[in-house]
Amino acid sequence: MIEVEALTKRYGSTTAVDGLTFTAPPGTVTGFLGPNGAGKSTTMRVVVGLERPTSGTATIHGRRYADLPAPLHAVGVMLDARSVHPGRTAYKHLLAMAQTHGISKARVREVIAQTGLEPAAHRRAGTFSLGMGQRLGIAGALLGDPATLILDEPVNGLDPDGVLWVRRLVRDLAAEGRTVLLSSHLMHELALCADRVVIIGRGRLLADAPVKEIVERSERAGTVRVRTPDPEPLTRELVASGAQVTPQEGGVLHVRGASVDDVGTAARRCGATVLELGTESGSLEEAYLQLTGDAVEYRAADARGGAR
Amino acid sequence: MTTVLPESRAPQRASRGAPRRTGPTLWRVLAAERTKLTSVRANTWLVLGTVVAAAGTAYGLGMFVRPDDGRSGSWVVTSGFVLAQLGFLVLGALVGTAEHTTGTARTTFTAVPRRLPVLGAQALVAATTALVTAVLALGASYVATAVAPLADAPALDLSVPGASRALLGFALASVAVTLLGLGLGALLRRPAAALVTGVVLAIVSDQLLAANPSRFTDTVRSLLPSAGARLTQDDAALAALDAATRGPQLGVWGGGVVVGAWVLVVLAAAAYRLRRHDVR
Repeated sequence: MIEVEALTKRYGSTTAVDGLTFTAPPGTVTGFLGPNGAGKSTTMRVVVGLERPTSGTATIHGRRYADLPAPLHAVGVMLDARSVHPGRTAYKHLLAMAQTHGISKARVREVIAQTGLEPAAHRRAGTFSLGMGQRLGIAGALLGDPATLILDEPVNGLDPDGVLWVRRLVRDLAAEGRTVLLSSHLMHELALCADRVVIIGRGRLLADAPVKEIVERSERAGTVRVRTPDPEPLTRELVASGAQVTPQEGGVLHVRGASVDDVGTAARRCGATVLELGTESGSLEEAYLQLTGDAVEYRAADARGGAR
Repeated sequence: MTTVLPESRAPQRASRGAPRRTGPTLWRVLAAERTKLTSVRANTWLVLGTVVAAAGTAYGLGMFVRPDDGRSGSWVVTSGFVLAQLGFLVLGALVGTAEHTTGTARTTFTAVPRRLPVLGAQALVAATTALVTAVLALGASYVATAVAPLADAPALDLSVPGASRALLGFALASVAVTLLGLGLGALLRRPAAALVTGVVLAIVSDQLLAANPSRFTDTVRSLLPSAGARLTQDDAALAALDAATRGPQLGVWGGGVVVGAWVLVVLAAAAYRLRRHDVR
């Protein structure tokens, strides 16, 4: 259980996180979504005690991170794949982490096997691809068998196999009753593996709801799509019955204010041939773009930007 | 709260066979820091390089020592410190900055969020490494100057007053310079900044001020960490230094006290920054 309450973090005059409140409950994958520079990574760094909040609190199981008696057993953290000394092998990196908590070498080898790092375990981390770095970061997060996982952009740089693997892994971890907080700027990624999403922009909360609800909020949700070689009579018929019709390319009409049944009946009435008929469901992408549209702050030179 | 699962599906801790789920202790952090220091190959090369630099310098300077110079055998053996201290400074600075330059800090300080045990363990591990390196450097310097034919340099004679203390002092001064580098590294978090500051404090300032002796400059010299190099001198050499200075006479252990105070102040400042400030 991660609870963030009225969290604010300022760097001089820049406000990275602004009064953010959300909860990541156990047994759930909580997606943490926002454009670059929205404050996702800053929030995560505050949650794990690397940075102090300017005001507000962030707690895990009701405790501040720094007050956890055995942090690695309570929370698995992967903030950045580049959190490793490039001259150290993956095995030694994990071993040094494990030693701080008296975790056995056997467990180190176990997470290496679990993350598919065996062939690279004794290679220096500086030679790793981004994807292997991600796997090493995830191995470190799993090391203490924690009840809470905080993963910052875990699928970044992974190949399709790796993406599938991470998706299944976080689903399994949540199914075991663990809390998973997973950040991403890839909306479709979260649509596939998160139960709920917390969306932020410019450090402020934009939405905190189940994925489905966010999708339904999308403008296109509730739109009926119909393809017909006779768009004119059908449009007339539909407009007469009070629906709004937007013609698209290829004889496709987008109809709002009418159900699929209504459109089908209207087509029969005016004798229009229907080639295709169905509902358009909104995608998380669209919902996300609508929500963040005015909150996008693209600062190429901002070293503190969300995803580094 | 859509999918909160019943308690029974929560992870079964006991059945996973994880023995104890306890947190960091100083011993555990010490073990981790030892692994970190020994697992980076650059550190091994640095230790070897420092040993070679010490022995090479001792041999080189030994070639110019004449019997009537008043230099003792211990002076020759410890003379490599003038170059070797750079190696110790780099060792300390690398240990102190590596966390911050490589991003390892994110891993380290999420594992040990109280942070100070990490700095303490780094100091112990770096000091131990420095001690071992210093002993190796002394041995190599002794072998280099004893085996190879040096023109007229006196052999090491531990019955010379202060000679054995000078050998011990070499080890102490090496540890002090290493810890100074570590403290500067942890405080400034950038290798270049830490090294430049360390070299200026421990080496360059003393040389510059020595070129312009006065009551003021000699007083400043006696208060710089470079005073620690006095530890490597025997009684006769220390007496000569005290006779020549127009500032305070530091005596046998004064230089050690000065560098020790620097180490404590810099490490305390590093601890303060680590405890109070953000880590990235």
